[in-house]
Amino acid sequence: MKNASIALFFILIVGNISHLFGPWWAVVLVAALAIVLFPMGPARALAVGTTAGSMLWWLNALWINSANTGMMASKIGQVFQGVSALQLLAATAFLGGLLGGLGALIGAYGRGLLAPQDPRRRRRRR
Amino acid sequence: MRIFRFVFTILLTGAFIWLLQTPQKFGEASIPPLGTFFNPFSGFWQNAESAKGFSQKDARIPGLQGPVEVVYDDLLVPHIFAQNLQDAAMVQGYVTAANRLWQMDITTRKAAGRLSEVLGERTLALDRLSRRRGMVFAAENALLGWQKSPETMHLLTAYTAGVNAYVDQLSAGDYPIEFKLLNYEPERWSELKTALVIESMAENLSSGESDLAATNTLALLGKPAFDMLFPEWETRQHPVVPDTGQWKNIMTGLPVVVPTGGTTSGVSEKNNLSGKALLTATNAAYSFNKNRNVPSSGNNLPDAEIDPYLMGSNNWAVSGARTQSHHAILANDPHLNLTLPSIWYQVQVHTPQQNCYGVSLPGVPGIIIGFNEDIAWGVTNVSHDVSDWYEVKWANPERTKYDLDGEIREVQKRIETIGIKGREALIDTVRYTVWGPVTHDFEPNHPLFNCALRWVSHDIPDERQLGLFLILNGGKNYDDYKKAIVGFDCPAQNFVFATRTGDIAIQVQGRFPIRNPEQGRFVQDGSRWSNSWRGYIPEDQVPSMKNPAYGFVFSANQHSTPPTYPYYYLGNFDHYRGRHIYDRLAALQNATVDSMKTMQLDNFSQRAHDALPAMLALLNRPITDADGQKLLQDLTAWNYRYDAEQTAPPLFEVWYDSCYLRTWDELDVQRKQGKDVMLPETWRFNELLATDTSNIFFDHPNTPYRETARDIVNESFRLMQQYFQQNPQKRQAWAPFRGFAIKHLAQLDAFSRLDVKVGGHKTAANALSRSNGPSWRMIVELGDPVRGYGVFPGGQSGNPGSRYYDNMVNTWAKGEYYDLLLLRSPDEASDRIQGHQTFTAR
Repeated sequence: MKNASIALFFILIVGNISHLFGPWWAVVLVAALAIVLFPMGPARALAVGTTAGSMLWWLNALWINSANTGMMASKIGQVFQGVSALQLLAATAFLGGLLGGLGALIGAYGRGLLAPQDPRRRRRRR
Repeated sequence: MRIFRFVFTILLTGAFIWLLQTPQKFGEASIPPLGTFFNPFSGFWQNAESAKGFSQKDARIPGLQGPVEVVYDDLLVPHIFAQNLQDAAMVQGYVTAANRLWQMDITTRKAAGRLSEVLGERTLALDRLSRRRGMVFAAENALLGWQKSPETMHLLTAYTAGVNAYVDQLSAGDYPIEFKLLNYEPERWSELKTALVIESMAENLSSGESDLAATNTLALLGKPAFDMLFPEWETRQHPVVPDTGQWKNIMTGLPVVVPTGGTTSGVSEKNNLSGKALLTATNAAYSFNKNRNVPSSGNNLPDAEIDPYLMGSNNWAVSGARTQSHHAILANDPHLNLTLPSIWYQVQVHTPQQNCYGVSLPGVPGIIIGFNEDIAWGVTNVSHDVSDWYEVKWANPERTKYDLDGEIREVQKRIETIGIKGREALIDTVRYTVWGPVTHDFEPNHPLFNCALRWVSHDIPDERQLGLFLILNGGKNYDDYKKAIVGFDCPAQNFVFATRTGDIAIQVQGRFPIRNPEQGRFVQDGSRWSNSWRGYIPEDQVPSMKNPAYGFVFSANQHSTPPTYPYYYLGNFDHYRGRHIYDRLAALQNATVDSMKTMQLDNFSQRAHDALPAMLALLNRPITDADGQKLLQDLTAWNYRYDAEQTAPPLFEVWYDSCYLRTWDELDVQRKQGKDVMLPETWRFNELLATDTSNIFFDHPNTPYRETARDIVNESFRLMQQYFQQNPQKRQAWAPFRGFAIKHLAQLDAFSRLDVKVGGHKTAANALSRSNGPSWRMIVELGDPVRGYGVFPGGQSGNPGSRYYDNMVNTWAKGEYYDLLLLRSPDEASDRIQGHQTFTAR
């Protein structure tokens, strides 16, 4: 559980920074790295990655949108044939979550390749 | 197994990433790559600016000679304080690009025929036409002219460097939203692109061509009827520069000009029409229509576009003798196709040599319309025809050789490679003759298939200066004004001018071909050099006037001079606004800035004033039905003003258009069949309505009865009544009836303003049509200090996600103005200043 929280915050913080320099899908790499550093099983990794990825994208969009008083979102919504600002925010969260989740899964499976033990067993041993 | 699921997840992720960064097609619509577009770090969210406003960061521009301070006011107007003009140009380039980069890109792409590179095949025809009209050729030649003036090139290079300093530091997240939506990247700027912006404006303003339509109409009607319907001179008009004897010593060596005037009808009987062919053709056309159940003209009323909108403008200057403050006042409102981002970008440029405020064209250094601490100036379009068509006599079937005065010449081929997104480029060969490009020779059925375009902008100027920026922006007096505008060639402009010392002036400035009478009115024989222009009207003989005794100068796209001017010219001239503006100026006493505002916002239509009384006089009375009486009552009570809330203008519009189209049914039916013919100008129609009611053209050729103007007016009144009975929802006020939109340059409704309710009419000083109108209203009182007032229908920012994108639209629509802030120093205190930005070299 502790690893999950740390990974989540790691993705949020490092994700924010890496997006300033990295490619638009940087959250995939950050989520993978988070799970490699703070290991957990694939199911939990998927959940953490998805949550963190969607929060990362959603919070940033939400922040920008409120500073902008929703002006741009309403115009872009019109460009997409009448989509609302809330729907745009949801779509943003969905895409962030998809990338974060997949990245975390890569991390979990990759970590599994490097350290062949079951992380749950390892944790119990500690 | 572990390796498999690891690799599978990577592949799956890769596939998603690929899918999300690839644009998708849904039927006709193309959707930007969703992943990059929604990503809040670089996608569209990044274009959503803080609504609190100012957020300009200090920046570096390689090559700056000293620090430059930019002060932003509450409208986001940059006030640039630089040590020299070159630094100012550089920073102007930077801040303009920061606000209008996509507009600059799309404008130059359109002019250069490069839209298809980013938009695909749908814009190919447009690109091909731009290339074939020689737009790039014209821009290249303009640049050659500038290159002969080192000072000009320094400024152009500095401006270019400024734009590029901005472009070079961009990351994908900073791209204007349109780049993200259309999924392409900004390019670097160049001096050629500045030339393209100017040529694009020149094409907009100077390429109104009726050569083909006039040729067809002449063939159809014969000369007497043509001359009767298309006189070149409206006698009630007040030209820009009146004859005060200043031209009597000009020897042109040309035949004497005897322009045809209106009022007297040369033809009144059917038999006098040398164009009997007209009636035959008309009857044939009618039977053509009958067979296809095409409604005859006049039934489809309100959408009929008569008198297509001419790009126009108003400007005037009033001397101190007519103003309350005894200072001169200058006003200008250029009418253009209104767009978002706005056509203009306001800027103040302060250097030790100048302190100038006004509007600039994104992509062009300097200020086009504005004022400084000593002078003010403004422009309207001159509307002279400076482009002609010549029919080439080909000397071989391959059309690579042509005959000029018996001498066989070779065409010059210019290869145009038009890049097209999603497919291989189109390689187009354009043939250039001595006249210019053979524009339409890829369309065998085009009426101008064999014709070459002669356009003044294709010439290589001797030496071309950015005279406005170099001299006028910092000008102090009349001499500077004269020096600055010399060589301003195309688009030709009426430059109005006023100084703090009390001078007012106007000059019809441009490069005007010397023509024989009627030369250029019709498609000309391109096999004879004697049909060429005889050169250009010498600079010291263009119409010009300073400090007339009656105390004002003005222009509204009307004729430049009376017929006594020794040079023949032709063009699309306005016949209404100028007359009314003249009347108002002539009546002015103790004028103030407010009285100038009411003149710019004046919705009075001279056309309605001319036509409605004549129409009412011909209307049979009494009208017995209540509905008809109500319509008549509304029309009779109307004050000829197209105010937004008035209900009479829609009635008049429908009635008038119906009268007009039913009178010219002989010609209109040809037009409906796709033949390019001209209909007479409405002022001539009004004149016939008032003075020649039995003119043959009021007759419908397909009835045994001989109709007169009275019949036309009465049947049109009934049709108008019918129209409003059948469309009761159209019986509404003028603003909703006419409709109005300021469209985004990519025609995206979401980025357009479709909700603006305004009055005005193309025949009124407040010349608004559905999408055209005053693109900048400016009034300057040349007192001590000089005070400027202005507004344009848009905002300083080109970003739809900025509060400065369209923040001035409502002010403009309400007819209000902003005080224009001419700062004396970057530290000057003003509660309107919201921030500073400093530029330094590396």
